[in-house]
Amino acid sequence: MVRFIIKRILLIIPMALLVVTLTWGLIRMAPGTFYSSEKKLPAAIEKNIRERYGLDKPWYAQYGLMMGNVISGDLGISLKYEGQAVNEIIGRHLPYSAIIGIAAYLLALAVGLAAGTLAALRQNSFFDYASMSVALLGLSIPAFVLGPLLVLLFSFTLYLLPPARWGGVSALVLPVVTLAAVYAAYIARLTRAGMLEVLRSDYIRTARAKGLSERTILFRHALRGGLIPVVSFTGPALAGLLAGTVVVEKVFAIPGLGNIFIQSIFNRDEPLTLGIVAFISILIMVFNLAVDIAYGFLDPRIRYE
Amino acid sequence: MKLNNRSVVGFTALVIGSFLIQACGGASQYFGKTETPRDNILRYVSGSEPESLDPHVSSGQPEARIYMALFDGLVEYGPKDLQPIPAIAKSWETGPGVDTFIFHLRDNARWSDGKPITAEDFVYSLRRGFAPETLSRTASLGYFVKYAEAYNSGRVFVRKNGRYITGSDLDGTPKKQRAAFGPDTEFDRSLRDGERITLDADPKKREKEIETDPKLRAAAEGAEFVPVSENDIGVEAIDAYTLRISLRQPAPFFVGLLAHQFFRLVPRHAIERYGKQWTRPENIVTCGAFKMQRYVPYNVLAVTRDPMYWDAANVHLDGIEFYPVEELSTIMNLYKGGQIDAMLNHSVPSSWIGDVRQYKDEYLNFAEAATAYYSMNMTKPPFNDIRVRRAFQLAVDRKALSDFRKVTKPLNDITPDGIFPDYDRARAAVADASRAKAGLSVEEWDRKHGVDPEAARRSLTEAGFPVIAEGNGFACPTFPTDTVSLTFNTNENNRAVAEFVQAQWKKNLGVTIPLKSQEFKTFLKDRNELNYVGFAQSLWSGDYMDPFTFLGLHYAKQNDGGSGFYDPKYDKLLDDANNELDPQKRYELLARAEAYVMDQLPVVTLTVNATNWLKKPYVKGMYPNPGTLHAWKFVYIETDRSRWDRDVEGIMTGSDARVDQQLAELTSSQRGQ
Repeated sequence: MVRFIIKRILLIIPMALLVVTLTWGLIRMAPGTFYSSEKKLPAAIEKNIRERYGLDKPWYAQYGLMMGNVISGDLGISLKYEGQAVNEIIGRHLPYSAIIGIAAYLLALAVGLAAGTLAALRQNSFFDYASMSVALLGLSIPAFVLGPLLVLLFSFTLYLLPPARWGGVSALVLPVVTLAAVYAAYIARLTRAGMLEVLRSDYIRTARAKGLSERTILFRHALRGGLIPVVSFTGPALAGLLAGTVVVEKVFAIPGLGNIFIQSIFNRDEPLTLGIVAFISILIMVFNLAVDIAYGFLDPRIRYE
Repeated sequence: MKLNNRSVVGFTALVIGSFLIQACGGASQYFGKTETPRDNILRYVSGSEPESLDPHVSSGQPEARIYMALFDGLVEYGPKDLQPIPAIAKSWETGPGVDTFIFHLRDNARWSDGKPITAEDFVYSLRRGFAPETLSRTASLGYFVKYAEAYNSGRVFVRKNGRYITGSDLDGTPKKQRAAFGPDTEFDRSLRDGERITLDADPKKREKEIETDPKLRAAAEGAEFVPVSENDIGVEAIDAYTLRISLRQPAPFFVGLLAHQFFRLVPRHAIERYGKQWTRPENIVTCGAFKMQRYVPYNVLAVTRDPMYWDAANVHLDGIEFYPVEELSTIMNLYKGGQIDAMLNHSVPSSWIGDVRQYKDEYLNFAEAATAYYSMNMTKPPFNDIRVRRAFQLAVDRKALSDFRKVTKPLNDITPDGIFPDYDRARAAVADASRAKAGLSVEEWDRKHGVDPEAARRSLTEAGFPVIAEGNGFACPTFPTDTVSLTFNTNENNRAVAEFVQAQWKKNLGVTIPLKSQEFKTFLKDRNELNYVGFAQSLWSGDYMDPFTFLGLHYAKQNDGGSGFYDPKYDKLLDDANNELDPQKRYELLARAEAYVMDQLPVVTLTVNATNWLKKPYVKGMYPNPGTLHAWKFVYIETDRSRWDRDVEGIMTGSDARVDQQLAELTSSQRGQ
């Protein structure tokens, strides 16, 4: 187990560097620069800018500099926002995304698990059909539709919640619900499928034969096995949520990482884009590792050698 | 699956129900929640996140509006017309050649930390703006200041036997001594003494410059090359409260330019202490009506009234919160929900305009100093042929386009109508004279300069692309539509305009120009490097309130017109106009230059943009001026409902006693001059 974890951690580093390299290449292929605008710059000014930011050096020198920065953990200075370190920007905006993301995931987990389990227990009942239909809706309505619909209902019809911007618990409700909807739907469907499979399996039948109560069977035995698909979904989902979700952050004007990430690409703010990419890719790999470890605890049949 | 359908029906009913409730409650006079904020703080959506709080760095308008709260300059934009009004300079005088200006500063101006502001601060500030290491992207706006361009682009003077070589030394013409204006100083004499030549600092490039000109070679032989330094540029503190700015050429609009962010005052003591970190909230020192209170990037920048400000008694708001929001529908939601009091220009999405227009007390639709046109790449065929360019210009019905766009007006020339009334008159007179000379009636003239599909088809046919009648319309099978395209940057509005114009060309010329939508920076690169064939969308907002800000688009070889147009004759016409000291005569010369460039047609003119934003009726002293740049100290929140704005159509011509009086008091110091 320990060897497995160490091996995986060692793999994360070259993977992250590979992702950063590919991203760097892609950014370099995109036309335009961080300083281009409708107004052409006088040649002398452009030359000064290129010198200041090392853009006059050959590409391998620039690549080396960038890689050195990334490896040392100092992601450099933003090109667009003068004097602001990339580390500082990520550190500043991560909490917004994380709060919304974690809240949304907890909500999704609560709703999804409850609905999925109940639906599995009462397969083909009214509740099963109803909850799975709602889940299907949740999956098919994109956030940019659901968000404005919720705003219309709760901000402009019922006048209960603010339509956008960060500030106060009431401002969190709509973005969190918008974000949670699709995840709750996923989790509900995954839980239902997982539970249905487990409930039909031999060890549950054995448990029943031993005369255990339905409650014990459900919570001690079935849920653990039934949750495995949910757990494997949780890893990347949580990483993605923490790193910010562009659409929800845009619709609700939340100063999260997703918003900054997209802007950094439009701004051609190379250090910022690379920094966020490196951060997100490491986050995803770490969460995947955590998921793999969690399997071992949830399902005694899985062993890592 | 019955249940499934039922739940869908339920959800749909809920949504439709909420729409209905919405619709029934929508008969209100105002758009959404309209209550005055309790704390006398204006909440304003300022657009994209500010790039920097250093006014020398950023060139954007969202930043400009924030700088206007935090930093004062010599002058400020007038709230309604953007004409310069006194700020830290209580008055100014213009030299006889309109190339020297003396500013008298008030002695009670202070930084937010209480330190007094003197003329030396302005000298420092301008020198810093032009310093090559500041990397200011707006410095070129100030190139009118003598030797500023040479300093900014790191050039060198040529000095021989202890004296600088001037232009007249080279061409043998008598040295032009400029008239003295103001106190006689050694520095001023050195500035007036002919125009020194400057060369590239890079020895290789300098060699090349010298090689091409034998006179220059002779002059440079044995000469030393002295880098142009900050001490050479035409800015001088005559005493603690008197500042002289000398220009390289007459520029009657120069004082108007000084309200631009580039010329606003930056604090030497904070910059020298904190370096690049001086704009951080904990370090920043400001000199505007408001000072920094709280800054959470991408969320809010809150400023509060600065008691140190020289005119603090006349600042009405206790503070302003700038919200950096870009998503248009989010901005509209915030406005409707009463979470903001006003928004930046062009925030109403086109799909909302129809509904929002009916709120006559809030929706601001006024002429803007901004034009939309399509540049035609004159360096690549077939658009290097004036007949082709003319055909496409004549085939667009601008009136129909404006009606379609709802909030714009037709653009017939390079400079928009209705922004510079005196210039409009001069232009009309020039046009009348040309019309009389050509012996055309008004109708014929208007058709020639408006939409004339028949002439357009004739012109395209003459250029070698015959337009033939086909069915109910026309066809032009030989026109190279496989290489030509209409390029624009990805945006819903841009696409709508492109499709409209494309349809007009199809109808009138039988040519279907393919549309090409590009991401903004990609688009800019292609446009600026003339890396397109056919048309590239262009939008231009005036930098200052003078027609030259538009006519200059096609001036000099490296210009921002996007067409590759360069014509020394046009440059000469503009130079002559700017050398003219009489304002009305200057306008006439500018109008002649405009007529000249319109004969060459580097562009297909489209529309004069119009302001398109909302403010709550209780926000007063905030006007839809041609740049929607707001001098914040005039803005106030009216708590008395009976005095709220009614029908903003007359807001620019009507009077607001409070604003009028404040403006009169403020400008009295300059009128006394």
